[in-house]
Amino acid sequence: MNFPHFSKLIVACLILFPSFTGCISEDKSDNELVILTYDVNALSDSMISKFENSTGLEVRMIKVEDSGSILSYLIQNKGVGNVDLAIGLDNTYLPTAIELDLLEEVSIVKDSISGKNSSSQMPALGPYDGNLATPFDMGFICLNYDSSIVDGLNFTIPTSLWNLTEPEWKGKVALPSPITSSPGRGFMLATLDYFDWQNNDDDFSNWWTAMKDNDAIITSGWSEAYETHYTGGYGEYTEGYIGDAHITVSYCHSPGVESWYNGNWTKSASLDIDKTAFFQVEYASAIKGGNSENAEKFIEYLISSEVNSQMPVENLMYSVLEGQNLPEENGYRFNSIIPSNPAVISNVDIGKNIEIWLEEWNEAMIKSE
Amino acid sequence: MNNTQKFFSILAVFIYSAITIIPIVFAIDRLILVSGFNPILWIQSLDQNYVSQNSIAFTFVQAFFSTILTVLIGFPVAWVLGRHSWPFKAFLRSILTLPFVIPAIIAAMGFLTITGPYGLDVRTDESTWWWTLIFSHAWFNIALIIRFCEPVLSTLNPNFEEQLLLLPNGVTFFSRLKNLWIPILTPSIAAASCMTFVFSFTSFALVKWITVRDKTLESTMAEVSSSAGIQGYMEPSSDIVLGASLIQFLVLLASLWLMSFLQQRRQTKWQQASELFVQNKNAKGWFVLAPAIFFVQLPIISVILGSFRVRDVSENSNSFKWSTEGWSEAFQGSYSFPPLSEALFNSLIYSFGTLIIALPLGYILASTIHQLEENNFNLSRILEIYTMLPFALSAAMIGLGIMLGIIKLNPSAAYDFRFLPVLAHVMITVPFVVRIILPALRSFDLSYDENAKVLGMSNFSRFFKIKLPLMKGSILVATVFTLAMSLGEFGASFIVARNSEWITLPLLIDSLRGKPMKDPLTVPSSNAVATVLMLITMILFLIVEKFRNTKDRGMF
Repeated sequence: MNFPHFSKLIVACLILFPSFTGCISEDKSDNELVILTYDVNALSDSMISKFENSTGLEVRMIKVEDSGSILSYLIQNKGVGNVDLAIGLDNTYLPTAIELDLLEEVSIVKDSISGKNSSSQMPALGPYDGNLATPFDMGFICLNYDSSIVDGLNFTIPTSLWNLTEPEWKGKVALPSPITSSPGRGFMLATLDYFDWQNNDDDFSNWWTAMKDNDAIITSGWSEAYETHYTGGYGEYTEGYIGDAHITVSYCHSPGVESWYNGNWTKSASLDIDKTAFFQVEYASAIKGGNSENAEKFIEYLISSEVNSQMPVENLMYSVLEGQNLPEENGYRFNSIIPSNPAVISNVDIGKNIEIWLEEWNEAMIKSE
Repeated sequence: MNNTQKFFSILAVFIYSAITIIPIVFAIDRLILVSGFNPILWIQSLDQNYVSQNSIAFTFVQAFFSTILTVLIGFPVAWVLGRHSWPFKAFLRSILTLPFVIPAIIAAMGFLTITGPYGLDVRTDESTWWWTLIFSHAWFNIALIIRFCEPVLSTLNPNFEEQLLLLPNGVTFFSRLKNLWIPILTPSIAAASCMTFVFSFTSFALVKWITVRDKTLESTMAEVSSSAGIQGYMEPSSDIVLGASLIQFLVLLASLWLMSFLQQRRQTKWQQASELFVQNKNAKGWFVLAPAIFFVQLPIISVILGSFRVRDVSENSNSFKWSTEGWSEAFQGSYSFPPLSEALFNSLIYSFGTLIIALPLGYILASTIHQLEENNFNLSRILEIYTMLPFALSAAMIGLGIMLGIIKLNPSAAYDFRFLPVLAHVMITVPFVVRIILPALRSFDLSYDENAKVLGMSNFSRFFKIKLPLMKGSILVATVFTLAMSLGEFGASFIVARNSEWITLPLLIDSLRGKPMKDPLTVPSSNAVATVLMLITMILFLIVEKFRNTKDRGMF
């Protein structure tokens, strides 16, 4: 390369760069709806385009890793007004968001949502029914087991959480961490109720310490626990599969999802032990400082029958609408259970105590019996 | 130094400080606001939090063993390459040193494919993960041993060994090793080992994907980064980040000092001879070279093959078919992932943006250091060390610094300013530009410039008509190196750009690989993106090799 060419290259770069910057920079306009979310499957391309066509609004997504990251983002950007709507905060994170005054009230008619007018087995409005958040999907988090191995012969089916601390289960239970996973956090909250945290005894800490000493596999997220370690799910058909855990934390309807994908066959089952299941509800919330009018339009669309009734197949979660259930095809509903006596922890308690409980969990995990 | 030069020098130092130092200072300030100033507690917090427990020990132990294995594999290769003549030697050297410029996330994909169900099928045994990591670090860093040792081996006058053969202390191979080779090669091996240790110590992408739950300080920091620096919410995250950063900073600083010390010893002049005189033919050397080439190329080939191999879901088993579906998925994108073209566009924008800032900035800083060396040596040393400071910060530290620093200045900018990754990439690349340009400036014959001055040429003309053409080789190497580093950068981008729409190629690979594996296109589509990134990097590397000064062979 001789000198003239070389200098031309430099000049070309200097000219081109600012022009590139122009073509990719964007400013937030009134006609735009900025949604902060994680990878919620329900928000498909076609669903978004339909909304854009009917409202004339342009949707822009900011995707973060998970429910916890949505909360972190909102805290870091409090008062900035760069986001209109957050989709994916669940009832383990919502109380903190409310306490920190991050959300804006919107008036959504919630008559069609379960729990408003009837005493449903899964009241979507049970954990929270105010105007700061609207539920859009739900499900129970509970222990799943591989019924082909945990069959009463090779392994005894546990009837108490303490069973999992016995030598039989050494290294055979995979649990997502409550620090980095929302199903993990939900399960930890269930164990608080199981061990009756209000009586202030040490069973909650002792059980988690015993689990750690029994080589429980603590993973950073649900995917690693379910796909990499759990023998009862689809993980065995994926790369990176280890298959060393016969029990894991997932949803009570996960066996139904397995069955739905596998033509009415699954070896995974949910474990219905009292007070070990946590009712998780995911919410859509307008954000303080954002355009709440636009946010409201999308929330209404999200809980419309057309979109929300598809939650079980699009998002693999229950619809929040009254009267909706899982499809019966391929054993989806048959293999999904609703726990008989789930854990109950109020949103107020979660908001007030979650940091303390996480600290207690951490203490339990770093000490040895 | 005239007034114009002074102006540009001061401006460059100011811009460099604004880009690199200010965000880091703000970030530390924000973290300390949450955690308080107690370095001992920060470090203790690493073992007091389950999420970071054992990460200190794991980081040190894996870095130590990675270094040992890298030397064990790399040294025999450097020896046969240096002491013997080979057909297409430059090409062989390029192939063997290629891994160092391949982005770590691609290496991770390659090793996962090799150890996965269609390869060695050892991933199901978790005890193999540790060794997979150690081998992948050895693969990544083997180039360092070759680059540092081969030039010494290929040019050392053979008379030394011949004379030693006649002496009682040189009769046996081991005595020659003890009395000749070890003293000569120790500084080079130690310097290469030092760099290998640093790169393994701050390893992120390989650890994230290969050992999963066992984390380095770097990957721990990245994991908790989203909740760091927030008062009243997940405060232990800030303690962890401060503790991990402090240990990393001290270890990297000590390594840099050791490197600098060893580099001086490496420059001890030994009597040299032409490569043609030193090297002889040795067919047995292929027993070392052939496995080494196989080892180096295997992960690269695995990534390419893996992009065409799709799990056959219809049979619900581990069988696979050859197909281009992974490529189609990567090119089309989906609701969750942008198409390959968009990530490529973003990556190119970031890398050119980085180049436009880092190259002139690095050049002016190097030029300032060079000019100060003549007038004020102490100030030149201070500035040289100052420009090397980002070397002592890991990618995650840089990413977090930029993120938290910008949040302190303007919270919305942290998520809305598209060029945030450019700032991180500039921080990472400027020290390399300075390291590449400075030796070229030092070897520049000043008489050309002085003669032109006497002939009345202006500063501008002298720069464009004399200096630039004479230095175009080094400038091109710096250009290509900057582009390649920015394109493949993962650690800092993971922190500053993962929560944005402006996903880069390495981030797209990570995201595609991270989606639920039930989808049979998860692995092939991530490998397809990895193949594109790898090909671009390889082309850039071959360009660098063409323009690299033979005297610079021992450096990157």
